[in-house]
Amino acid sequence: MASESSPSSQGGHHFLLRRLHSLAGILPVGVFLVVHLTVNSTINFGGEAFQTQVDRIHDLEPFLLPVEIVGIFLPLLFHAVLGFQIWFSGRPNVGAYKYGGNLRYTFQRVTGGVAFVFILYHLWHMHWLGESLGGARFDPHDAAATAALAMKESLFGVPLNLLYAVGVLACVYHLANGLWTSLITWGITVGPSSQRTSGYVCAVFGVVLGIVGLSSVRGFKTYEGAEVTVQHTDAEQHGDTEQHGDAGQHGDAGHVSASQTSSQDLQRED
Amino acid sequence: MSKKFKVAIKRQDDPNGASRWERFEIENEKGMNITTALQRIAASPVTIDGKQSTPVAYDACCLEEVCGACSMLVNGSVRQACTALANTLLENKPDEITLEPMSKFPVVRDLVVDRSKMFNSLSRVHAWVPVDGYSDRGAGPRISQHQQEDSYPLTTCMTCGCCVESCPQFHPESDFIGPAAISQAVLFNEHPIGSFEADKRLEILTGNGGIADCGNAQNCVKVCPKNIPLTRSIAKAGRSATVFAIKQFFEK
Ligand code: HEM
Ligand code: HEM
Ligand code: SF4
Ligand code: SF4
Ligand code: FES
Repeated sequence: MASESSPSSQGGHHFLLRRLHSLAGILPVGVFLVVHLTVNSTINFGGEAFQTQVDRIHDLEPFLLPVEIVGIFLPLLFHAVLGFQIWFSGRPNVGAYKYGGNLRYTFQRVTGGVAFVFILYHLWHMHWLGESLGGARFDPHDAAATAALAMKESLFGVPLNLLYAVGVLACVYHLANGLWTSLITWGITVGPSSQRTSGYVCAVFGVVLGIVGLSSVRGFKTYEGAEVTVQHTDAEQHGDTEQHGDAGQHGDAGHVSASQTSSQDLQRED
Repeated sequence: MSKKFKVAIKRQDDPNGASRWERFEIENEKGMNITTALQRIAASPVTIDGKQSTPVAYDACCLEEVCGACSMLVNGSVRQACTALANTLLENKPDEITLEPMSKFPVVRDLVVDRSKMFNSLSRVHAWVPVDGYSDRGAGPRISQHQQEDSYPLTTCMTCGCCVESCPQFHPESDFIGPAAISQAVLFNEHPIGSFEADKRLEILTGNGGIADCGNAQNCVKVCPKNIPLTRSIAKAGRSATVFAIKQFFEK
C-alpha cells in the first residue's frame, strides 16, 4: 500500500518534471508545430512561396542544427520520454467509463504514441538526418519539388500522404487537447464553465490547425511544379504510379522525367 | 412485479485467495436496491445451479448514500449499492446484474475492500483543522457566506472511493493520492484556521503522488455520488501549486 515513503521513479522532482513536461509540450514543441504546419501550407501559394519560407529557416545556417537540437529535438525527446512514462503510469479505462473526458484522456496518450512514431519516420524521411539511413527525401534548395516528390511516395503500399494526414491529425489533436488540459494543469481554467469555454477555443484552434496541416499534405501531393526522375526500385513503390491531376506526369510508370530539379537525393537508389 | 432476476457476484474468500463468479436468482421486490438483494441472498445462499453457498460479504451502513461504505462495481462501473435500484439496472441490462468489489483496493472478502489507502492519503494532506491545546482562544474567524457555499459541497465527501476507482491514474501501483484527498486539501486550505497549514499541504500536493499525477480524465467528477466539484478542486490545487512552487523557488 502506498504511504508517505512509497518509492517513485522521479525522486523529489516529480512536480517540476511534470510541469516542465507540460511546458515543453506547449512552448518549444507546440509552437514549432504551429509554425511548421503554417510554413508547409505556403505550398498552396506555389513552390516559390514555400521555397522563400524554407530559405528563411535555412538562413540560420550554420546555427540551424544547434537551434533544432536545443529548440526542438531535446524538448521533444524529453516530452516524449516522460510522456510514455506518464502513459504507462495510468490504467486507461474507457471501456468501463465512457465519458468524453476519459476518451480525451486516452486519446491524448494514443495520439502521443502515434506522433512519436510519425515524427521518427518523418525525420528519417524528410530531414537530412535520415540521409545515412536512406531517407532524407527533402532538399532545402529545391524545397517544393523534393517535398512534393516525397509526399507522392508510399510505404507498404499505403500512399504517404495518407500516413502524413494521420500523423498531422494526431499531432494536432494532441496539441489542441494538450492546450486544454494544460490550462487546467496550471490552474488557469478552474471552474467547469471556463473549462467548457476553453474547450471550444481549443477545439476551434485544433480544427483550424488541422485544416492548415491537411492543406499542406494535399498541397505537396498535388504539386506539379516539378517533374523528376525517380527510379522506383522498391517493390512496394511499383503500385504507386498514380497520376496527379492532368499536367506533367503522364509518363511510363516507373519513370517520371526530370526538369526542374538538381537534387542529388533524387538520383539516389533506395 | 414479482419477477425473478439474476445476479452474478465475483467472490473471494480471503485477501490472497482466488476469485470466482457465483450466480444467484432472486425475487424482485418493489424498490429493491442492491443491498437488499444481497440481504436476500444471505438469507438463502443457493446458487442458480442449486449449490449451497455462503452469504456474500458486503459493506453497508447508512443505506442512504451518506456513509460511503457500500461502493462496489455494479455492472462494471462503480457506485453505491444502497442507491442502485434493481429495476433501473434491469431496464438497461435485463439479463443479469453483475457485482464486483472495487478494483483499486485490496479485497478483504467478496465485495468488502480495504480503503486504507484513501485514509492514508487524507492524513498525508493533513485533511483536518489543527486545534492544539485546551485553552479557550475565543471565537474563530468568520467565514463568508460565499466561502461557505464553496466549501460545503466539499465537506460532504464520504471517502467512498468511487472517484479513485474510476480514476485511470489511481491504482494499486500508483502513489497518487487521488481526487478526494486533493479536494479535502483544498477544503482545509480555504478554511481560515486550516489555512495555517496551507504550505504543509501544498508541499504534499507538489510532491510525489500529488497533483501532478492527475491526468485530467475527469472521470472522478462524473462518478462522485455526492456531486462534489472535484475537477474544480483539482484545478484550484493546480493553481495554488503553481504559485507555491514559484514562491518556493524564489524564497529558497
Ligand atoms: C504537412 C505535413 C508535413 C510536411 C510536408 C513536413 C515537412 C517537413 C520538412 C520538409 C522537413 C525538413 C525541414 C528541413 O530540413 O529544413 C521537416 C522537418 C521536421 N518536421 Fe515536418 N512536415 C510535416 C508535418 C510534421 C508534423 C505533424 C510534425 C510534428 C511535430 C513534424 C515535425 C518535424 C520536425 C520535428 C522536423 C525537424 C525539425 C526541422 O527541420 O525544423 N512535421 N518537416
Ligand atoms: C512524441 C511523442 C509524444 C508523447 C509520447 C506525448 C505524450 C503526452 C502525454 C502522455 C501527455 C499527457 C500529460 C498529462 O495529461 O499529464 C501529453 C501532454 C501534452 N503533450 Fe505530448 N506527447 C508527445 C508529443 C507531443 C507533441 C509532438 C506535442 C506538440 C505538438 C505535444 C504536446 C503536448 C501538450 C501541450 C500536452 C499538455 C500538457 C498538460 O496537460 O499540461 N506532445 N503528451
Ligand atoms: S469525492 Fe465523491 S466519489 Fe470521491 S470519495 Fe468523496 S464522495 Fe466518494
Ligand atoms: S481528473 Fe484527475 S483525479 Fe479525476 S479521474 Fe481524472 S485523472 Fe483522476
Ligand atoms: S450504505 Fe452508506 S452509502 Fe450506501
